[in-house]
Amino acid sequence: MDTLVNVAHGFGVALAPVNLLYCFIGVFIGTLVGVLPGIGPISAMSLLLPVTLSGTPESGIIMMAGIYYGSMYGGSTTSILVNIPGEAASVVTCIDGHQMAKQGRAGPALGIAAFGSFIAGTFALIALMLVAPKLASVAIVFGPAEYFSLMALGLVVLTFLTQGSMAKALLMACIGVVLGLIGLDSITAQPRLTFGRIELMDGIGLVPVVMGLFGVAEVLLNTERVIKRDIIEAKITRLLPDKEDWKASAGPVGRGTVLGFFLGILPGGGAVVASFASYALEKRLSGTPERFGHGAIEGVAGPEAANNAAAGGAFIPLMTLGIPPNVVMALLLGAFVVHGLQPGPLMITQNPGLFWGIVASMYIGNLMLLVLNLPMIGMWVQLLKLPYNILFPLIILFTIIGVYCSSNNVFDVYVMIAFGVIGYFMRKLGYEPAPLVLAFVLGPMLENNLRKSLILSQGDLGTFVTRPISAACLALALVLLIGPLLPALRKRRELVALDEGA
Amino acid sequence: MSGEGNVKLRLDNSELWGGLIGLGLGIFVIRSGLKLKLGTIHDPGSGFVLFYTGILICAFAATVTVAALTEGGPTFGSRWRDARWGKPLLVIACLTAFAIALDPLGFLLAAVPLTLLLMRLVDPVRWSLAIPISILVPVGMWWLLKQALGIQLPSGTFGIG
Repeated sequence: MDTLVNVAHGFGVALAPVNLLYCFIGVFIGTLVGVLPGIGPISAMSLLLPVTLSGTPESGIIMMAGIYYGSMYGGSTTSILVNIPGEAASVVTCIDGHQMAKQGRAGPALGIAAFGSFIAGTFALIALMLVAPKLASVAIVFGPAEYFSLMALGLVVLTFLTQGSMAKALLMACIGVVLGLIGLDSITAQPRLTFGRIELMDGIGLVPVVMGLFGVAEVLLNTERVIKRDIIEAKITRLLPDKEDWKASAGPVGRGTVLGFFLGILPGGGAVVASFASYALEKRLSGTPERFGHGAIEGVAGPEAANNAAAGGAFIPLMTLGIPPNVVMALLLGAFVVHGLQPGPLMITQNPGLFWGIVASMYIGNLMLLVLNLPMIGMWVQLLKLPYNILFPLIILFTIIGVYCSSNNVFDVYVMIAFGVIGYFMRKLGYEPAPLVLAFVLGPMLENNLRKSLILSQGDLGTFVTRPISAACLALALVLLIGPLLPALRKRRELVALDEGA
Repeated sequence: MSGEGNVKLRLDNSELWGGLIGLGLGIFVIRSGLKLKLGTIHDPGSGFVLFYTGILICAFAATVTVAALTEGGPTFGSRWRDARWGKPLLVIACLTAFAIALDPLGFLLAAVPLTLLLMRLVDPVRWSLAIPISILVPVGMWWLLKQALGIQLPSGTFGIG
């Protein structure tokens, strides 16, 4: 009963005209960045982080959330029609989605992607409504040791799932922690690694780091090669999947939804992992696995449902524990902090309007996306024809404006350029930026909780292993760290390892 | 690791340099941690986490270095094979020039040439398209930010914008 009252209150907040407008802007921009290759939700959210300052916290966060799940919808359009993933979670959709389009079935592919996403998004929201308050009440008893271990686990999971060498991913995570510690020590107020620069006293900003590593670096990588797009030119007809399509897709959508939701909750997981896992699961369960890669609708329905369910599930650790499970959620945490809010176990009780308003807006946003994606497909296709040599100078311009507006300081533009160059070389040398960014955000919290635990336990390291939740997190982290040394586990890791960069 | 462009004990082994840079960074972080004071395990100081993270950086960088020496790694040449490496350099040069010019010239006078240069230098867009886009987009963005959102962009010494 309480939940229903809260949901009604949430809809009251979300249906306020200004919040509806922000929600629409968010999902529209999200679809746009999802459709356009080369700009992902991370760049778009960083860019718009300063804009959220001009409205209420509800409006700003509703818009940011809209960009995230909107990009999950939009990404599938590019994957299916151009065979280039609009964002990382749509990589898998390219495999069968583009094959379907080549066989003249672009309509059903786009249709099942949109409907599957809607069904999964709706389920994820209902589960979020039910799970989040329960988890928040459990999280109240979490102490610094639990928080430290949970964050350490999140970082290890992400490094485990990152493509390439695990040593490189761990190296990136450690460098991220160090970068996060630049500035005044939160306990002693001593300046650290500031090199006497007053601009570094508050630390390096998240926006220039993310825009540099993901936005500028991506542009630099794209300019060094000639981008060819294999756009499906035929007119797209019959967007609604037929009875056979629904029959084949019902199972994958259901399984993808459940799998995606749980993978989204896990620290270090998220939409990208979920889509890969769902594809692997569907292929394994299929009686005709040889159809996969040649236009199997299950290969579109499952991953698309999974990535949207994961996008919803990822809100749970952020809203209930205050811990962002992935880079996108780290940016959303930034949006909360910009407004002086701290997500965590007390947020649902202290600020119910905000929590339930965001949840309700996500449902409204999902409906808007269904309307945006199917009838407006022609417009998105036209947008895909925009040549990259016109697009990339505009991306650069938007990133500069976004970074400057986040601090009104040219120093941050220098920081962004520096991280752009670093990010370019990192990608060329096989170092992924995602662990660095998540560690950059978690670093200060990780340090704070470690030091608090040691002070509270009077220097007893046993505090991390005698508390059950902390011990379980550390044990799992240890298994994942040692795992890749064993040949069987190494093979499994290589199968699920992913490129988080896009 | 094997195949074309894979080398072990050579200076153009890119993996080796990645590991060595990591090692250098780790040593720097350890030193910084020590300078900031480690404190005690009962009351960790400002350098405590930095110091131990520096040790971890050194350990992981050493793993990468050892792997580069024993298993080999791709050369720099193979990493940039078929890449138009001059193009990213041009973009970086334009961005740096823009950042230097932003405060003295202001946003509009710096952004219009930047957009035009990027459109013409990398994969040239025809002049008839490049000029209007590189004027209209920065002016449009400036108008939107200043008039609609009330966000001030630098106007420079000439006070334009």
